[in-house]
Amino acid sequence: MNDTRNESEADRQWTILFIDDDRDFLAAQAAFFKARGHRVHTAESGHEALELLDDLAATGSALPDLIFLDLMMEHVDTGFRLAHTLRRRSELADVPLVMLSGVARETGRRFDHEGQRLLAWSRLDRFLDKPVTGKRLLAVAEELLKGDGAQHP
Amino acid sequence: MAASNVYGAETAPAESPPRILVVDDEYGVRSAVRQILEMEGYRVTEAATAGEALALVAAADPEGGYDVVLLDHRLPDSDGLTLHKRMVAEGRELMTCMITAYADIDLACAATFQGIDFFLAKPFLPDELLGVVETLVRRRQARHEAERLRREHEANLLALAEEKTQTRSLIASLRDAVLVVNREGHVVLVNEAMAGLLGAAEGDLLHRPVTEVFLGGPLASLLHPLQKSLKDRTVGQLLLGERTFAYSIVTFRGEDDSALGRIVTLSDISEIRRLALEKERFIRTMVHELKSPLGAVRSLIEVTTDKSLGDDLDAYLPLLHRAEERIDGLVRLINDLLLLSRSEQALAPNEPELQELAPALAEAVAAQAEPIAKAGLSTHLEIEPNLPPVLLPAEDLSLILANLIGNAVKYNRPGGTVTVRAHREDRWVRLDVEDSGIGISPENLDRVFTEFFREKRPETRDLEGSGLGLAIVKRLVERAGGRVQVQSAQGLGSTFSVFLPA
Repeated sequence: MNDTRNESEADRQWTILFIDDDRDFLAAQAAFFKARGHRVHTAESGHEALELLDDLAATGSALPDLIFLDLMMEHVDTGFRLAHTLRRRSELADVPLVMLSGVARETGRRFDHEGQRLLAWSRLDRFLDKPVTGKRLLAVAEELLKGDGAQHP
Repeated sequence: MAASNVYGAETAPAESPPRILVVDDEYGVRSAVRQILEMEGYRVTEAATAGEALALVAAADPEGGYDVVLLDHRLPDSDGLTLHKRMVAEGRELMTCMITAYADIDLACAATFQGIDFFLAKPFLPDELLGVVETLVRRRQARHEAERLRREHEANLLALAEEKTQTRSLIASLRDAVLVVNREGHVVLVNEAMAGLLGAAEGDLLHRPVTEVFLGGPLASLLHPLQKSLKDRTVGQLLLGERTFAYSIVTFRGEDDSALGRIVTLSDISEIRRLALEKERFIRTMVHELKSPLGAVRSLIEVTTDKSLGDDLDAYLPLLHRAEERIDGLVRLINDLLLLSRSEQALAPNEPELQELAPALAEAVAAQAEPIAKAGLSTHLEIEPNLPPVLLPAEDLSLILANLIGNAVKYNRPGGTVTVRAHREDRWVRLDVEDSGIGISPENLDRVFTEFFREKRPETRDLEGSGLGLAIVKRLVERAGGRVQVQSAQGLGSTFSVFLPA
């Protein structure tokens, strides 16, 4: 493994939750982030994600510092609904939410009049276009979690 | 006189010298008249008898015929009145002057009554004759001109009426709703489509103020632009219940550019809008379906180039195998998109042929031998003997069967069954492909033929597919004049039925 990677990021370990219905994407991101010493949880649906979060809370495990979630899963707007549900949980109220979508540009145009309302409604921190690289996700995570790493050792 | 001659006659008398026919049995009178008139530029023809006169009149072409006939009452073979009557009966429009030495009141009355224009008593002075002829020629020209104008006017009116009728029936037959208001804001024209929109009879809408007609109705929002807009053309969209209309309000102007009124037109664009939205949805889904595998492959490769799993190449092999599979899936998806697009063409690119269902079915089942064996499925073919052939391209039939039987295998349970039945039902050949698999949830049953629709359930998680197979099947079957149908019980299995014309 790359030495500089461990040195520069050793003191900033995060717990990250990926919610995406593409299993290969989940496996790849898990490998990429784990290689940098982060803890990664994955869920293939909104339902699975909520169950996982319940489990983490019940066992007193670290809750995610950051959640990446896909927009288009079971339904076209599953991501938005899920984001809204997550936000209503008090323990997740301040966790950065990053929405990933293969149709972000297309929907962005459609959501022009409604988009701001939807973003506000689900209180998303970022909206990223797919395909997206691990490096880009890492950069976004660093930006959103600046100086925040120590909270969840 | 025929209408086509009217316009020709208008210039003839004015340009060529007026033609005069003198009918008199006395040579002296005829030549005297000729001399007097020819000196003044008239063209004179002589006739000594009624028969001669009639022949001349009949021979003259209708356009350049005689303008004035000078007629003696006493003729060797007839009399002036009778001759005049016969000329009129021939349809000749002539100005006639009777010249006679035997002038009396009775004859004059009879002549006038018969429509003879003038009466000249013998002997007459040259100036008297000239005055009469001149008057008659002028009167003849005036009458000609009046007739020409009358006919022209009549033709114009006729054309106008015809045009109006044409315009009205054109507007009436339009599917677009049309309403015309005049300068005073009254409805002056409304077609059936518009009356339908307003929920009133055409007759009840005419001549009413448009404010009254629109207010409180579905088109109330058009009142403002209709009455207040300063623009000559206002366009927009209007939602009426489920339907979307494109409207336009256009000002029409007279020759002096003053506004005469406004035309309101509404076209139902619901279907166009629905198709546009459907296309947008399709493209959005297609983009998603293409980007997902690409994104996965991109991430899987990144893990490798990033050496996220260390330096041992073997650690990456499962991920790279997945990348290969995703790329294969992407290629299949693109091929299915091509098939879908081809199945959308109204006419099959290949000629339809009569196909026997039994061998095609056996072939389609044989093609699935490997997955069938792998899942331990048993297959049953129940094909009615003497089944009539079906008419469609061979490629289409094998695609339909491959998709249906492929699905029955793919969505089955280990050790399950695939039953294929074919029999005649009324004028159809009915094919049922039944599986004992996971089934389809009732709420999704009517969506399974929609492009890209795939049920996301734990049972389908490991099953790959483009989500286009059934959409292709439906289109190919419909192109062959048939229809598709599905029945399913979740957890028990599904039966897909295809009806093709026998």
